[in-house]
Amino acid sequence: MPRSPEARGGEEAAARAGRRQGMLLAAPAAVYLLIFFVVPLGLITVYSFATRTVTGRTSLSDWNIDAYRSVGDEIVVGIIWRSGWLATLTTALCLVIGYPFAYYIATRPRSLRAILLVLVMIPFWTNGLVRVYAIRFLLGSNGPASTLSESLGFGAFRILFTPTAVTIGMVYTFLTFMVLPLYVALERMDWRLAEAARDLYANGAKAFWKVTLPLTRSGIVAGCVLVFVPSFGSYVVPDILGGAKTLLVGSYIAQQFSDARNRPLGAALSVLLIVAMLIAVALNQRSGSGAENSDDAGSDRPRRRRRGADTDADSSSGSEAETRTEPAPAGL
Amino acid sequence: MAAPTPAVEIDGVTKRFGDVVAVDDITLTIDDGEFFALLGPSGCGKTTTLRMIAGLDLPSSGSLRIFGDEVGMAPPDRRPVNTVFQAYALFPHMTVRQNIEFGLRMRRVNKSEMSQRTEQAIAMVRLAGMEERRPSQLSGGQQQRVALARALVNQPKVLLLDEPLGALDLKLRQEMQQELKALQQQVGITFIFVTHDQEEALAMSERIGVMSQGHLLQVGSPREIYEHPTSRFVADFIGRTNLIEAEVESAGTLRLQNGKLIAAGISAPSGAAVAVSLRPEHIRVHPRDASASRGDPGDPGGDSLDGTIADVTYLGHAVVYSVAAGPTTIEARREGDLGEPLAVGASVTVSWDHGAVAVIED
Repeated sequence: MPRSPEARGGEEAAARAGRRQGMLLAAPAAVYLLIFFVVPLGLITVYSFATRTVTGRTSLSDWNIDAYRSVGDEIVVGIIWRSGWLATLTTALCLVIGYPFAYYIATRPRSLRAILLVLVMIPFWTNGLVRVYAIRFLLGSNGPASTLSESLGFGAFRILFTPTAVTIGMVYTFLTFMVLPLYVALERMDWRLAEAARDLYANGAKAFWKVTLPLTRSGIVAGCVLVFVPSFGSYVVPDILGGAKTLLVGSYIAQQFSDARNRPLGAALSVLLIVAMLIAVALNQRSGSGAENSDDAGSDRPRRRRRGADTDADSSSGSEAETRTEPAPAGL
Repeated sequence: MAAPTPAVEIDGVTKRFGDVVAVDDITLTIDDGEFFALLGPSGCGKTTTLRMIAGLDLPSSGSLRIFGDEVGMAPPDRRPVNTVFQAYALFPHMTVRQNIEFGLRMRRVNKSEMSQRTEQAIAMVRLAGMEERRPSQLSGGQQQRVALARALVNQPKVLLLDEPLGALDLKLRQEMQQELKALQQQVGITFIFVTHDQEEALAMSERIGVMSQGHLLQVGSPREIYEHPTSRFVADFIGRTNLIEAEVESAGTLRLQNGKLIAAGISAPSGAAVAVSLRPEHIRVHPRDASASRGDPGDPGGDSLDGTIADVTYLGHAVVYSVAAGPTTIEARREGDLGEPLAVGASVTVSWDHGAVAVIED
């Protein structure tokens, strides 16, 4: 139907109004993020190219990349490796503990699921610092764990201020971030597919490896990103449970800004950390959306997506995007 | 000579989910090579029965044998049956070929045999050229074929199909009905399929088991089920029918509620309450005065009732009349009548042959 020019003009005006309204809705968040995220990030970036004077002051006149060069120092490299290893270990442990638990919740009756999810969330609602101090008390040489071990004849144990204590604390802190995306993926899982696998001669374990696990991959990836990223840069947990001996990236950066008074190095490390995380997330995102259609890449076949009944694959990749765009929890 | 071992023997099987009895003491034997339909409305227990044969649900009590082997409690991967699931349940993360190969891989069939059997299955369901596609890139009919190939490639002794055509549109469904029948004859194995569509069951199967509320009401050929229903439910569920309450007057005679006596083949004792099932297509409708002049009420080969036309539905190939005859309304379906349909309010006589009367004694 041909439209009159006035009608088309009206349509454009409506679209403009729609855009204006959209901007208005986003404005408070945008302003907030601009002031408290973009500006500090810009300052950090600027500082990373600055010079540390002999007295520990930061000179903003003499631009260079010395700070980035000193990231290659043996001490710093060692700290990065240790942090990476601890974050990997934390992520792996969270996955191994979290998957069966998420599976358990997702396969309960609907009413029970809600209760179990609340139970998962409760520790998360408590102040993080309080929880970490509670663990410190628990693991301390006079704490309940040690007392119990002593009375059983195993002797008092000293794990506080060791990497073990830090790992325990990190797993505890970040487990929720693993369980929730896994639960979402498992809850959306079409269990008829697991049944189909059983019908096609797969035993329970095979059906899990070949069908359930690949189909909940989006949840696994999201959970791992949500745990790895904050645990790599975490500060509070290693500081309280690890003592000064197990220095990690987060604490090291904090030191550069405080005691060591080497702001350019702290800033440079921060920038590198952010860039590394962004690259990791981008790679994950790419492999996440690519794996499902890897065969189609480069082919010119028409993609026909069936609407309705079984679009599980599609909806799960949708959930991936949703979970990933959630803001990563700030490193404690 | 000993009778051949039946494909499936269900012996006194009951399935409870908590307090709900989904399947109530069913006994059923399905022969080797048979195309058998389990028919019933949703929630009647037909899918649960199928799932128990597959091993996806375990019976609460009773015995279940497949080719003589007791399998009641065996897990699904230890049974010589495969299932075509409702909505197909194809693995979305695998290609068509990977879907079809799945069962063979799980049973560690060697490579050369696997590729040979997979090719055969793909050719059988005419999916050549689609092997590397994902299920989401296929049409409904194509997905259906993948599901069939994925099950049949394992050469099961029994193929179970759960509403296999339910997700397809009418035209495709009719095509697939023919194709499934041809496929069953080609592979020669027992097909058991579950459907709520009575026309589909009549068109496709050699025998039908009608279920309602967990009970197996009647088992028989499509013709037996349609022409000689043994219960009100079966008569009403399979096709359309007029159910008229009656009482046995004497051997061979029934008394309708309005006092009229009609003839029927009946063995129940006098005074027993029964129902008469009369299919709409077996009922003739005559304008009253015309029939009176022909002396139709005295027709020795049939019976008749007088009434008034209450409603007329014109369907093109047929005309459906609702005739109010005393306390009952009788539906009559006339196909191939030429000329103007009778008008609402016309006085008519409806009549039928003795052979059209099915007496239900339940």
